[in-house]
Amino acid sequence: MDEMEWLDTVVYGEVTYYHLLIFVIDVIVAVVVAKAISVYLKKYLSDRIEKAELDIIIRILQVVVILIGFYIGLPRFEFNLADLILVGGTLTIVIGLATQKMGSNFVSGLFLLIERPIKPGDTVQVESVTGVVQKIHILSTIIKTFEGIYVRIPNETVFTSEIVNYVANVARRFEYVVGISYQDDAGRAIRVIQDLLEAHPFVLKHPSPSVFLDELGDSSVVLKVLIWCPSRVWWSVRTELLQEIKTAIEDAGTVIPFPQRVITLQEAPPGR
Amino acid sequence: MYYRTTASRSIEKILGSRGGRIIVNPVEPLNLPQEVTRYLEFHFTPIVVPSESEQRIFLTFPVEIGVFLQDKRGFTVIDIFSFAPQKYSLYGTPDDGVITRHVDSDVFDSVPYLVDPLATGVMELTIFNASRTQVEVTRAVFENASLNVYYGDFVAMKGRMEVYSKAIAETTTLLTPFREGMRAAVPLFASRQIALAEGLKYLMEHGVGG
Repeated sequence: MDEMEWLDTVVYGEVTYYHLLIFVIDVIVAVVVAKAISVYLKKYLSDRIEKAELDIIIRILQVVVILIGFYIGLPRFEFNLADLILVGGTLTIVIGLATQKMGSNFVSGLFLLIERPIKPGDTVQVESVTGVVQKIHILSTIIKTFEGIYVRIPNETVFTSEIVNYVANVARRFEYVVGISYQDDAGRAIRVIQDLLEAHPFVLKHPSPSVFLDELGDSSVVLKVLIWCPSRVWWSVRTELLQEIKTAIEDAGTVIPFPQRVITLQEAPPGR
Repeated sequence: MYYRTTASRSIEKILGSRGGRIIVNPVEPLNLPQEVTRYLEFHFTPIVVPSESEQRIFLTFPVEIGVFLQDKRGFTVIDIFSFAPQKYSLYGTPDDGVITRHVDSDVFDSVPYLVDPLATGVMELTIFNASRTQVEVTRAVFENASLNVYYGDFVAMKGRMEVYSKAIAETTTLLTPFREGMRAAVPLFASRQIALAEGLKYLMEHGVGG
């Protein structure tokens, strides 16, 4: 029993090592519980709630659980909560002034979570960085570029920059320009492309796709193809359809011409 | 081992579970070729419904078939396939609307003859016009959580649509068999362990016509 007597040693005021130990255990338990809640929610809700929303819920619950842990542990120090809030408030101001940039990033992070111009999983462009949002932390946003590069952007920069979110709307439009030779029947080529688009599941029925003769070019008759498709699959549709259009119009006997120029040679005048 | 071969594709899967049983039944037709939406949208010839009155019509929809493994823990989807083509559409605007599985259907006044019941199902839709004016209805959108599919000789659903104005309507499908003896299909939602609330409804806020 003597070995445990050190626990009764006073550290500060009436606070003993025992109180400190209990407080630390309290906080550790709160952290473990918060972690367990996170794992449990990820296991059972990941199929039902979008990852972005789940992350927010988990983060809020973790903060609440840890705060509760602190709150339960504090009375052992016999602190007056009002004093603590006063001291905490003062400290917040001091730390806030000292870490103004950090505070700005924090507030921007909160606004990003509230306004939600971007969310994890979105394909976005922030300033010169284009890629997929991985995480929105309290101070920074992580974007993985299409080359697989990790980019960390401070939230203040994200919030004050022009953001292009390629998937914020459920549907988006893209276009192809297809050149056919002057000898080919443009109407037939248009019908072939229309049939192909009609058969593709992700070329939206409404707004309907549009195929029309756009330009009489130098070397070809130019057809324009405008297609709406679900934003979630637009890139795969865009990459596979052009190949299919090329194959379909070639199978229909239409020629996609190379750039060409007709040169007329004038005969040299006699005597030269 | 699970094999499935169709004209366009073959798949092969090793099933880890030794117990359990395989269930094959129709599922909500919203999964192929890839799940991009929760909404099924019927487009049909305009139906004029007078104020405060009801109209019952029959529509057809593409069938998707799910293969489930049922064990002690519940249902797991192994495969989904279909003999019907797929098409998607947009209900509403790109910024405010939803992507929908698009179904173009003729309108019938009784259960239509189905050439291939494995490819096409029947929806009995009752449209009630609760507004003070006559409305022209050309579309009905259902959310997956409110789709209750039944099967027997063919696949069927019973739907109800309450029209409040040209712009607003509420849809749901009923938790009652289309015909006596038909069985309720295991919904994909069951495999995702989400409890379904009876009478779940979808509010169509982007119009019932056009």
